[in-house]
Amino acid sequence: MPAKIDYHHLIQEDKIHGSLYTDEAIYEDELEKLFYSSWVYIGHESEIKKRGDYVTRDIGRSSVIMVRNKDESVKVMVNRCQHRGNMLCNESQGNKRNFTCPYHGWVFGLNGDLLDVSYPGGFDKPLEELNLEVLVTDSYRGFVFACFKKPTISFDDYLGHGKALIDRACNMSPNGKIDLKGGWIRQHFDANWKMLPENDTDGYHVNYVHQSFVMAIDSQYGDFVGAEDSIKGVIKNWGNGHTEIDFAPGYKKMLDWLGSTPEKVKSYVDSMTKTYGKEKADQMLYDGPPHACIFPNLFLAEMNIVIFQPTGVNSAVQWSTPMFLEGAPELDFKLLRQSEGALGPAAFLLADDATIAERAQKALSAGTPWCDLSRGLNRETEDSDGVKTSHMTDETSNRGFWHHYRALMMGELS
Amino acid sequence: MSQIMSAELTKRLEDFVIKEAKLADEGEYQAWEDLWADDGVYWVPLKEGDDPTQQVSHLYDNRTRLATRIRQLKTGYRYSQMPISGMRRVISNYEFFAEADGRYRVEANFFLPEYSIQSIHDFRLWSGRYIYTLSPRDDGFQIHIKKVLLVNGSEPIPSLAFLI
Ligand code: FES
Ligand SMILES: [Fe+2]
Repeated sequence: MPAKIDYHHLIQEDKIHGSLYTDEAIYEDELEKLFYSSWVYIGHESEIKKRGDYVTRDIGRSSVIMVRNKDESVKVMVNRCQHRGNMLCNESQGNKRNFTCPYHGWVFGLNGDLLDVSYPGGFDKPLEELNLEVLVTDSYRGFVFACFKKPTISFDDYLGHGKALIDRACNMSPNGKIDLKGGWIRQHFDANWKMLPENDTDGYHVNYVHQSFVMAIDSQYGDFVGAEDSIKGVIKNWGNGHTEIDFAPGYKKMLDWLGSTPEKVKSYVDSMTKTYGKEKADQMLYDGPPHACIFPNLFLAEMNIVIFQPTGVNSAVQWSTPMFLEGAPELDFKLLRQSEGALGPAAFLLADDATIAERAQKALSAGTPWCDLSRGLNRETEDSDGVKTSHMTDETSNRGFWHHYRALMMGELS
Repeated sequence: MSQIMSAELTKRLEDFVIKEAKLADEGEYQAWEDLWADDGVYWVPLKEGDDPTQQVSHLYDNRTRLATRIRQLKTGYRYSQMPISGMRRVISNYEFFAEADGRYRVEANFFLPEYSIQSIHDFRLWSGRYIYTLSPRDDGFQIHIKKVLLVNGSEPIPSLAFLI
């Protein structure tokens, strides 16, 4: 039995230890405590619109199937036959009446029930003893989360302020609904998975890592380059490990976040006004969608949805897809191109983030690699709800991530 | 069916593709960009059959975005290609087609060994099919479409910041 890992030593108020990214034992501990025992994001209901539609996802080393059942409910189950353990479904998406194992032909229903065993003469166990493992599942506005074990934290408590972040994303649609039908780009990182959520809500690196982009293009990002006090965006720790860069205070006009104007996307503005009323719609179109991570593996990436997938202590995959808005199909083309511009292996931004993360992974693999985490401790503020806010370049977000991580890893939340 | 094309013409088309590949391999960004027509589209879909108006691609650059991509590479701060990867692509199995509008379509398989030296120093192998739409310009050709069908485009792939 390995010695218990002291996360209070490794994660302090103002610094963390680099072994958190590189230690094999910590990685195994994370899979067990974060990915197999706590709530994780699986997928969105718009990916499985019809009965029998399914997608497969990898959570840690475990493949799961998210499937729309005959009664319209969504089930998430382990993608492993209960007979001799074969992978039940090798496709990443599709539609099925039921799942037939390719090895010996056992048939499971969309709800995971074992329906039929071939040549039943030699098998006399009750079928219901060998149903698929079904995960505890809950969803909020189509975002499906699941837990392999009986969760110690209720879904509502887990999501906390994350609900309001998801609301803000969905409400960008005049119908209040998003549609993830654009396909997933998957980008391989030779870096620990935690560098992804950390970097995605790090407002400090933009001028450096993305300098080439700022220099090459005239875009909203250009507005964030400048003296420290000219940066108006803010960073937030919403609690429960959920974090955000709120760009809105830095926007100069409506639809800055879309790189557009009300004249250019008039039909979208009109539908938003019709749904929400002029005052509210104008505010939403000014503020834009959230740029926020929902602990541990979901990123509401403005007009994209992103999933973080750990694939080993030294590697991870970032999934990304454009967040199409129901009721505004006229934006689809623009959202596709915006998604490709920002996210994925060929993008103007993420390609460089990946290189930086990979260099960090290498640099942190030896010696006594303490990483500073103190930026903004001298100026962040906390409201009565415990939500912390600071200058956009501060590490308030990463402290939020790590301190929640520490509590989960130490079993201090329940 | 392809119309009969002279060996002289197919040789010139092949030479053009080889030149384009060499400029990409060697990071001759400006010379590479100059090969493009004003309506150029540089496209790497996730997989065969994807519709770029409905599905996300690894990249789908119109001429303006292509110019931005080249400007970014030329800044000297594009970390994911700083320094540029070692690359020597091999192109083979050519097929040549004359299109009705006076354009030519050239299809060929490629195999691209990349030595990625920006972070982990990794030797990577890329492979797939190039599909070019070209038309005559001056005494050579210009590129209207370069579509790159990767054999593993819908799987997780590492940085694709170089010109593929
Ligand atoms: S392993 Fe699935 S039927 Fe035997
Ligand atoms: Fe970044």
